[in-house]
Amino acid sequence: MLEKGKISAFQMAVLMYPTIVATALLTVPSITAAYADNDLWLSPIWASLIGFVTVLVVDALHRRYPQKTIIQYSEHILGKLLGKAFGAFLMLLYVLLTALVVRIYAEFLVGSFLTQTPIVVVISTMLLLCAFAVRGGVEVIARAATAFSPFFVLPLLLLIVLLFTDFQLDRIFPIMADGVGPSLKGALIPQGWFTEYMLLAFLLPFLTDREKGRKWGVLSVFAVMLTLLISNLIVLFLFGTDVATMLYPLMAAARYVSFADFFENLESLVMAIWIMGAFIKISVFYYATALGSAQLLNLSDYRPIVLPLGFLITLFSFWSIPSLMETSKFDVAVFPFLGPLVLTLLPLLLLLLSFVRPARQEGKSS
Amino acid sequence: MNRNGRKWWRTNKHKLEPARQNSPSPYAHLTLSKETKENLQTLQDIYSKCSDVIFRPFYIGKTIKAHVVFISGLCTVQDVDQYVLTPLMQANENEFPDMEQMAEQVLAVSRIKNLATIADCIEEIGSGNPVLLWEGEERALSLGLAKWEKRNIEEPSAEVGIRGPREGFTETLDVNTSQIRRRIKDPALKMERMKIGGYTQTEVIVAYMEGIVDQTLVEEAKARLNRIQIDGILESGYIEEMIEDNPASPFPQLKDTERPDTACSALLEGRVVILVDGTPFALIAPVTFFALFQAAEDYYQRYIISTAIRWLRYLFLGISLLLPSLYVAIITFHQEMVPTSLLISMAASREAVPFPGLVEALLMEITFEALREAGVRLPKQIGAAVSIVGALVIGQAAVDAGLVSAPMVIVVAITGIANFMVPRYSVGTAVRLLRFPIMFLAGTLGLLGVMLGLIAIVVHLCTLRSFGVPYLSGISPLKPKEWKDILYRSPWWAMKTRPHFTGEFNQYRQAPDQKPGPERSEDP
Amino acid sequence: MKRILLTLLMMSLLFLGGCWDRTEINDLAIITGAAIDAADDNQIELSVQVFIPRALSAGRGSTSSGGNLTLVKSAKGASIADAIALLQTKIPRKIFWGHCEVFIFGEDMAKRGIAEEMDFLVRHPQPRERAYMFVSKGKAAKTLELRPELERYSSEVIREMSDMHIGMLVTIIQLKEMLRGKSNAAALPLIDVMPPPNEAKGLETAPYIMGTAVFRKGKMVGEINEKATRGVMWIRGEVERYTVTAKLKNVQGTVSLNPIHSDIKFIPSIRNGQWQMTIKAKTEGDVVQNGTNLDMSNPEMIKLVEKAFQQDIEDRIELALKQVQHEMKADIFDFATDFYREYPQEWKAAKNNWDEIFPNVKVITDIHAYVRRPGLVTLPGGIPEEEVREK
Repeated sequence: MLEKGKISAFQMAVLMYPTIVATALLTVPSITAAYADNDLWLSPIWASLIGFVTVLVVDALHRRYPQKTIIQYSEHILGKLLGKAFGAFLMLLYVLLTALVVRIYAEFLVGSFLTQTPIVVVISTMLLLCAFAVRGGVEVIARAATAFSPFFVLPLLLLIVLLFTDFQLDRIFPIMADGVGPSLKGALIPQGWFTEYMLLAFLLPFLTDREKGRKWGVLSVFAVMLTLLISNLIVLFLFGTDVATMLYPLMAAARYVSFADFFENLESLVMAIWIMGAFIKISVFYYATALGSAQLLNLSDYRPIVLPLGFLITLFSFWSIPSLMETSKFDVAVFPFLGPLVLTLLPLLLLLLSFVRPARQEGKSS
Repeated sequence: MNRNGRKWWRTNKHKLEPARQNSPSPYAHLTLSKETKENLQTLQDIYSKCSDVIFRPFYIGKTIKAHVVFISGLCTVQDVDQYVLTPLMQANENEFPDMEQMAEQVLAVSRIKNLATIADCIEEIGSGNPVLLWEGEERALSLGLAKWEKRNIEEPSAEVGIRGPREGFTETLDVNTSQIRRRIKDPALKMERMKIGGYTQTEVIVAYMEGIVDQTLVEEAKARLNRIQIDGILESGYIEEMIEDNPASPFPQLKDTERPDTACSALLEGRVVILVDGTPFALIAPVTFFALFQAAEDYYQRYIISTAIRWLRYLFLGISLLLPSLYVAIITFHQEMVPTSLLISMAASREAVPFPGLVEALLMEITFEALREAGVRLPKQIGAAVSIVGALVIGQAAVDAGLVSAPMVIVVAITGIANFMVPRYSVGTAVRLLRFPIMFLAGTLGLLGVMLGLIAIVVHLCTLRSFGVPYLSGISPLKPKEWKDILYRSPWWAMKTRPHFTGEFNQYRQAPDQKPGPERSEDP
Repeated sequence: MKRILLTLLMMSLLFLGGCWDRTEINDLAIITGAAIDAADDNQIELSVQVFIPRALSAGRGSTSSGGNLTLVKSAKGASIADAIALLQTKIPRKIFWGHCEVFIFGEDMAKRGIAEEMDFLVRHPQPRERAYMFVSKGKAAKTLELRPELERYSSEVIREMSDMHIGMLVTIIQLKEMLRGKSNAAALPLIDVMPPPNEAKGLETAPYIMGTAVFRKGKMVGEINEKATRGVMWIRGEVERYTVTAKLKNVQGTVSLNPIHSDIKFIPSIRNGQWQMTIKAKTEGDVVQNGTNLDMSNPEMIKLVEKAFQQDIEDRIELALKQVQHEMKADIFDFATDFYREYPQEWKAAKNNWDEIFPNVKVITDIHAYVRRPGLVTLPGGIPEEEVREK
């Protein structure tokens, strides 16, 4: 085994929560609102469905091939050559996705706070930090996520308390004025985020309590759905359908706070959440990429390739995306389709194939 | 690179002589002979030029030649005269067939040990026990009369408390063990003795509660101690650095204490206490980050107040680590984050300051650290003068001269005070040190830098372990059961279990359902 | 060792790169208020009120009234961004918008249209979402130059006044929402300069909120006075601290009440093509002054007061409706959204000619006013007991 660390199913859920929420919290409400208007709070509910499906598929695969990651069992299912090709494709996609996450992270910071700092500095400092965590192994990432998780949830609750007087609760009406259509359309974007639960395929093999993996996976999806729902409601109550025009509505909400003339401009709070969340998200993606690549290349340790991979990710984060507009275009036009296709449908296909050709792997693996 | 695959700059090291090791002793091959003269000669050779070693020849009764060898100052001359020389010289040597019987009947010394080798003799002499050499005997006799000047038991100076026992450990190992034994009388309290240090032969005791402690932990501790091969141990700090899990960390992975009550509570929680001769500081392992924020007094005063104080400590830990960096980040990067009226006051006070925010902060912090360090090292009388001068220099005068702004002085002062809130000096120093890199990060990347620094510290804390126990255990990995002593100090009647990481075998520390209340007294 | 060297190397890299976004406070021109006026050739004139830190540090906290804490600089340009670029050449410090909490549009500018300039305020990361927006009577820049006696600078005066909800309070976000909203109308508080006590102290006066400027499609179409503003605020549910003084029927003197709590509900309905809006208001208040000879402990007397209270509010609302709905035809009450919420289908059909529908919406008011507490005394404080009317 490349990874000696073990995490509990609960830790896995805690780890996945910021991994999904971190970036979704900031950009998704406005994209959702563009389609769903004031039904944007319904969209996460529809979107979470694909999250549940992904978790169940990945878990089913895991039950068939315990202690193996997707890179390893895809070889069993598809055969050596095709499996390697699939693994390579997946790893390339993961490098790209990680690069994208890094870019979005940096784009927000540079756009809103550090307008003159070169983006390469923001990207490389973060990746360096993540490499430090990734080299520590899954245990360290999970523990860091646990340590950060209260600081992730509390600010959100604080926002609700501080902004409550500014809420206009009737903005939620009319509910479903045009039927479920708009909210379903709005769900198209957040569902891409939920497909990222495919990362579980890299975490499930390291659980101490394997039988609880499914339960906590599903609970984690539920928590993410609830959080998105709440954050969507916050911005809806505060800004109405105007949300659609804002790039980062939740940050605008934080900037709007003015309590007792002193608790003003809490965007630093959002920034703190953002950096922490992005750190965990990038670390998890980075870790999956490093581990998967090492398995793909049959290395005995994944640590030596962490830094080179980081360099690759840095490069990709520049090459693949020229501007923020391009990133959001990817978020809107590409990822909602790419995500479910690759991250949910392909594992589902693997699962089906493993049923079709059970004899072959059974013979091999035993 | 040479043939052996060693790098060239390392080969040198291997030519050096290895350090003197614990055992075997260089004198191990020497046995005592029947000829006292020979034995004496050997000892005198070994102790040549040691003016403090006294060889006293005398006759037992009238005929048997004997020598008593001791180090002056490590035992009282009067004792030797009274209990050894007098009875032996006045005894009738013919009444006793051998040394053993004679010792039993004549020597009024309770601790007597037969020694077979020269090495044993040296060890006993070194420990302060007079050694009796006897004509015609292949053995020597060690007389437990060691006694030397020692410091009295005093109030521990590094861990002061309002409520709680006032005695602290001293430099003498026996005094320290006696203090622990006096508190825990059960024979389950085990104290295993070992000697570490080639020259110093320092006695080290591994104490633990049998039945509570995880036996593998004891084995691990002993194994790590046995691995130490060093010329001398002068303080438990030597041992701490030789047995910790991650040497490249500013955070202490063992807790040091000067208080016997703290040591005993650690024993009862299933931890191992390592006592070292020659220092009042005992080591406790394993330890978690949060355990370092527990002061002995927390457990003696009312739990509600202790809980509040514990939170105050966490808060000020954050302040001590982050306040200067946050200040720098805000005044140089994120001016929009402070309320307008505050910003205006800050802008006004900074108007005349010639330094950038980061430089101003560094200047003040370094000055403060220097003053503090100087205050610790200086004799008490001068120390007061330093603090007065310091207060004037980094306070009033600097502000009046327009070198620093008044808010900065406040920030530095609060940070300094905050650091004293941490009950363990060793954690306090770690935080003091980490403050500076974060300040640099704040000065270059603003709040982003502060966050990156903070994340790096947390990740580092997540990788740390103390004797295999995760450093942040309780919070991460999450163990709600441990919160009773982390997030709040639960009252004693609710502190039902020992900390989970070690006390697996004997989990419950008290009978259930002991919550006191008025109605209880009316029960029959 | 290698590790330490590596870390040091990286640290030094950070420093070599320089501190990109670092700006010392000493190098900032903190803007406390901004005014946007119309200039010739379709240009705008931007004036900013800059805080002078030295003025405050010299006095060590206590500012002498004579010293000026702020200075005003102006520049002309095609847009705000353009004007700022020009302005920056006149100020030796970096212009910092993060603490600008007051933006004032000049009357001419408001009439020309504010949509273009709003874009800057919401797009640039520095201006705060919660900054307050105003329209000034005449030129806006003159407001900034005032030297108020009580507050440190004039923009603080109007901000504090808005915080008391004396007039309307509109933040950038709210204005943006109004301009982009379904009703296509907006309202901003209108400020004017109080006449100075004497000629010598020309600038030592303060601005005050005198009414409301009404916008339609981003352009100012009219203004309403303070009394009608109160009605508008009643409808919008924004009245917080304002004493209502009512004249009772057949009784000499007036009674003043402080509304403590008010609750406004809009009930839209469409019947036979007739758009109708019912405004239901419930308000409670305490008596603060009783200038009549009524006994305030008598529930029947209180009934009379309540009725007068009710009447007064109704009058104000009607006044506001008359001016805003019928004369200016601007839906600043955002009836549009209420209709949309209740009748999404009908709204969709009527969306494009809302401008014609709005003036014809029938408004029914249904006000319930209650007096909950008589204050500290029951009988009128200043008249002999015999004269008190008990019935």
